[in-house]
Parts: sequence; structure tokens; C-alpha cells
Amino acid sequence: MSVSTESVIHDLGYKRYDGPRLGRAAIVRALAWHSFRSAFGFGRSFKAKIVPFLILIVLCLPAIVNAVAVSQGQPRILHYDTYQPGLRAFAMLVFVAIQAPELVSRDLRSRVLPLYFSRPLRPVDYPLAKYIAFTGALLVMMWVPLIALYLGTVASVHGGSQVWHETQALFPGLLIGIMWAVVLAAVSLFLASLSGRRAFATGAVAIFLLLTWILANIIVTAETRPVPMKCGPSGCVPVGPSQPIPIGAKIGGLFSPFTLMDGVRRWLGGLTPDVVPKPGSFGVVYAIVLLALVAGCLFGLVARYRKAALQ
Amino acid sequence: MNSFPPAVIETTGLTKVYPGGVTALSGLTVSFSPGVTGLIGANGAGKSTLIKTLLGLLSPTSGRALVLGHDCVTEGEQIRQLVGYMPEHDCLPADVSATEFVTHMGRMSGIPATAAKERAAEALRHVGLHEERYRQIGTYSTGMKQRVKLAQALAGDPRLLFLDEPTNGLDPAGRVAMLELIERIGHEFGISIVVASHLLSEIERVCDHLVAIEGGRLLRADSISSFTGVSQVLLIEVEDGIDALLADLTRRGLAPRPGAQRTQVLVPLGGDDTFDAVRDSVAGLRLPLSRLEQRRHQVEELFRDDVEETASVG
Repeated sequence: MSVSTESVIHDLGYKRYDGPRLGRAAIVRALAWHSFRSAFGFGRSFKAKIVPFLILIVLCLPAIVNAVAVSQGQPRILHYDTYQPGLRAFAMLVFVAIQAPELVSRDLRSRVLPLYFSRPLRPVDYPLAKYIAFTGALLVMMWVPLIALYLGTVASVHGGSQVWHETQALFPGLLIGIMWAVVLAAVSLFLASLSGRRAFATGAVAIFLLLTWILANIIVTAETRPVPMKCGPSGCVPVGPSQPIPIGAKIGGLFSPFTLMDGVRRWLGGLTPDVVPKPGSFGVVYAIVLLALVAGCLFGLVARYRKAALQ
Repeated sequence: MNSFPPAVIETTGLTKVYPGGVTALSGLTVSFSPGVTGLIGANGAGKSTLIKTLLGLLSPTSGRALVLGHDCVTEGEQIRQLVGYMPEHDCLPADVSATEFVTHMGRMSGIPATAAKERAAEALRHVGLHEERYRQIGTYSTGMKQRVKLAQALAGDPRLLFLDEPTNGLDPAGRVAMLELIERIGHEFGISIVVASHLLSEIERVCDHLVAIEGGRLLRADSISSFTGVSQVLLIEVEDGIDALLADLTRRGLAPRPGAQRTQVLVPLGGDDTFDAVRDSVAGLRLPLSRLEQRRHQVEELFRDDVEETASVG
């Protein structure tokens, strides 16, 4: 069968292309769409779709449980701003560790980049398109569970005011989702672009995110004095005079992208408590460090491809 | 060399010195005419640097270059829209079908989605991969992969193709097929081609012009016909009496010179007269003739002479 592959040329002449030619912006859009699809395994084999969709389903499970609970008359079990914090952080970590290399390491591995750079694209366009695509993909991962949570809740509540109340509560959650997508896409694409070996790229992303997360949690937990709580049916409230949060706990949150984002969330007015204590005016530091992290990763990503274009 | 019709590529004093101090191109002034041009040079002669500079990916240290009338420093994007590039090394993902890959690369050249699909099918048909186009590239032979690399360069409907060592890694049959394809694209499709190679003998038969570079400098640029015109030689091998043969051939008005071996004589080939004179001479001297052969590799030898001269001058 492979013998027949040589020199089968049918003489039908060459046809010139005289249709429209798209400019750089449209090419970047096409590349971004192509990459967005590949983040979920579309345009690839069935196997490539398993992991992303499995993670999305896992992320949606709490929303489904909530829908059942709410339909039985219970109040909404999850907050829109934190969702299910541990599960979400872990699921997103696994997703970016596996899918970021899909977007950048494959092209490095197969050395296809010179083909991109010999086209009208500029070196900065390639990482830009990949970043837009992956941010979009992460936004889907963040928003779909939140919207499932919202729809599951709204389906069981009565009256326009309650629906409005839910809608108002949802919006900050969506904004937090944007923050997560923007930050995690920058960090994971930069780390993944350092290696064309997929396993190494996945390892680099996973190890960085996991170790920093553990480190930040250890520091914050070690530094936080236990606050006496009084628990009732409506949740727990601190008892006695509010204690100042030790600076060590605040600084500890700076060590991981996840705790940084959580600190910024609290600083911006997020109510649901999580690992990171409410930073107060220290929140500015969280915001600055987070912005610096994203800017640094994007700069590194662009520099990586500027170098690659010359090889 | 002001060629007519207008050149597809013109460089003037093109120089590229890498940050490390390595000079890859040194005052290169040359023009490429439409048609198929062989870019000949040893490894490290500056072929790849020249191609990257012409694509607008490397900026020259000094000098300028025009590709299809566009300046390679300021109009790189316009150039890359009109030019297709087939790199020397492997550049194909293994787990995608040829159709998908070439379609995607067509889109990256600015062809809208539907048209890119059609063009991918066309390009793969032209390179002879119509039947296998839905198979994953990882399952292809080296020859088929080379064809996919060529197809992706054709997908954007280029006016000019840069092919960097297109016969690399191919077996003899694959080389012949690839060269036929290049000739067809260059002469029937009307796409100008620059074929970079370190093997002149291999690509000379598909080229209209040759540009030879060495150490980033121009050795020689001319049409292939002007080379082969002077380069056709007759190799005569006799087991004995080489000196008598040389003297007799000179007497007959030919310009013989000793060949690479002690038993060989080379004679510039004029026409049938040359054959007659050689026959008469060998017969007259009663020499044991063991070989009489028309040589095709002479162009390479001409270049080699030039290299030696340049080396001794520089």
C-alpha cells in the first residue's frame, strides 16, 4: 500500500488563488481560535478530549449537587466568589498543567515555529494568540461551573427579587473567574514554553503551582492565630474582639498564584473566607505582586518566541 | 547583473554579522531572475542566513535586499505573504493529518477558512499525496514528509518559493521525484523558486540559474546555459600513451588538458567535430581506449576552481 504513495501526480494544472487575503489581525484570530479548540482537544483525536472534559465535569459536580439540594428547599450551598475552593484550585492546576503544553510545547517539539514565522505573523503574534486562546479556555473552565451553579439555584427560587439577588451575587464570581483565567494562562503558558518535551512542560507547571501553593498554605496557617468561633445554623462568626492579622500570614499569601488571587479577591471585597486572611490595606501589595507576576510571565513568553523566531 | 525580465530578488551589499562576531553574509550583491535558481554553497556558506534575511526575519547589519519589489527590512510582512518557505529540518507535527496541517498553514498565510481547505487539497494533490492526505503525518515516509513540507509552502499561493535542501534525507528515487516536482512547480506553475543546496550536481538539471556563495560572499551568478555551454567536456581514458594523445589532440586544434587521473584527458566539447577528431587521433595513434564519456559535473569543478581562486586572493 505504501508503494503507491510515490509520484502520483494528476495533471490538472495549477490554480492561482485570487480571493481575498486576510491581514495579520485575522490570522492572529484564526490562530487563537485554532488554539482555543485544541485546549479542549477539538481537531484532535478522541483521546485528547478526555482529560479536559473530565476536569470540566468534575468542576461542575458541586453545582449539580447544589441544584439537587436547592430543589429540595435548602439554601445555596456554595458561594459564587470561591465556588468549591480546594477542588477548583486543584482542578484548574491539573487542567493548565496538561493543556498548556498542548498549546505551546507541541509546536516547539515538532519545530513548526519557523513555518509560522515565515508567514505574515510577527514573532509577538504567536504568543499573543496562544495567550488569548488559553485565557478563553480557562474562562470556560471557570464560568461553566458558576453558571451551572446559578442556573441550578435560580431554577428553584421564586420571585423576581430572588433571581435578581442571585444574579447580583453571580457577577463578582464571574469577575474572579476572569482574574483566574488571566493569571493562570500567563503563568502556565510561560512555564510550558520553556520546554518542548511535553512531560517536562507539564511537570514544570504542576510542580511550580503545587509547591508554591503548599508553601503559601503552610506559612499562612502557621502564622495565623486561631480565632475563637461560635458556630450556629447560619455559619460561624468570630467571638470576642477582632484580632489583628499577623504580618507573617499576610506575607505568606504572596508566595503562590492561588493565594495571591485569593488575597486580591478579599481585598476587592470578597466575603467568603478562605485560607488567606483578609489583607486590609496590605491588599495593594497582593495586587501589585499579582500584576507583576502576570507581566513578568507575559514578558518571558514574548521573549521566548522572539528568540525562537531567529533560530 | 541587470537581468531581464526584472529580478525577483535583488541584494545590494548585504551584510549580516551575528552578535557573536560571526560574519554570515559579507557584502553580497546579487540578483535572482524569475524561474528556478539554485543557491549553491557548502554548509555554513550563508544560505540559510540569506533566506532568513530575505524573509525579513533577520535584519541585515548593512546593505539592503528587495524581494518581489519589497524591502526586506521594512516590508517583511508583505514579502512573507507572497513567499513560501520550506525549511531544511523536520517541521511537521506527527499527530495531525496532512490535510488539517496544510489547511491550518494556509490559514496562517491569510487564506480564509473555506478557501484554505480547497487549497490544501490542491497543494497535496500537486505534490502527489492526494490518496494519503487524511493519514496522520507521523505515519508518513521521509519522502512523503518532504512533500507535505512543500505542500504547506504552496498552500498560500506564493509567487516565490524558498526551498532549503529539499532533497535532504531522500533516497535516490525520492530525490528524482522531488526534483521533478520542483521543475514542474517552477516551469509549469509559474512560481519562481530558489533552491538552496550544497550539492550542485543534484539540482543543476532543474535550475535555470545558479548563484554560488561561499563564506557569505558571491562566487558566481549566471544562467545555467552559460555554464553548461563551456562546461560540456569529453573525458577520454586510455591505458597508455597519454602524452602522445595530448600532443596529437593539440595538433588537431583541440584544447586538451590532463584529467584527474594519469590516464585521463579532458577535451572541451564543441560539436560532432570534436568526437571525430578524438576518434581519428586515438585510432591514428593506435591507443587502447578504455573510456569515452561526456561529463555532466563540470559546473561543480568550475565552482571549485573559483573557490580556490577566491581563497587564495582573500
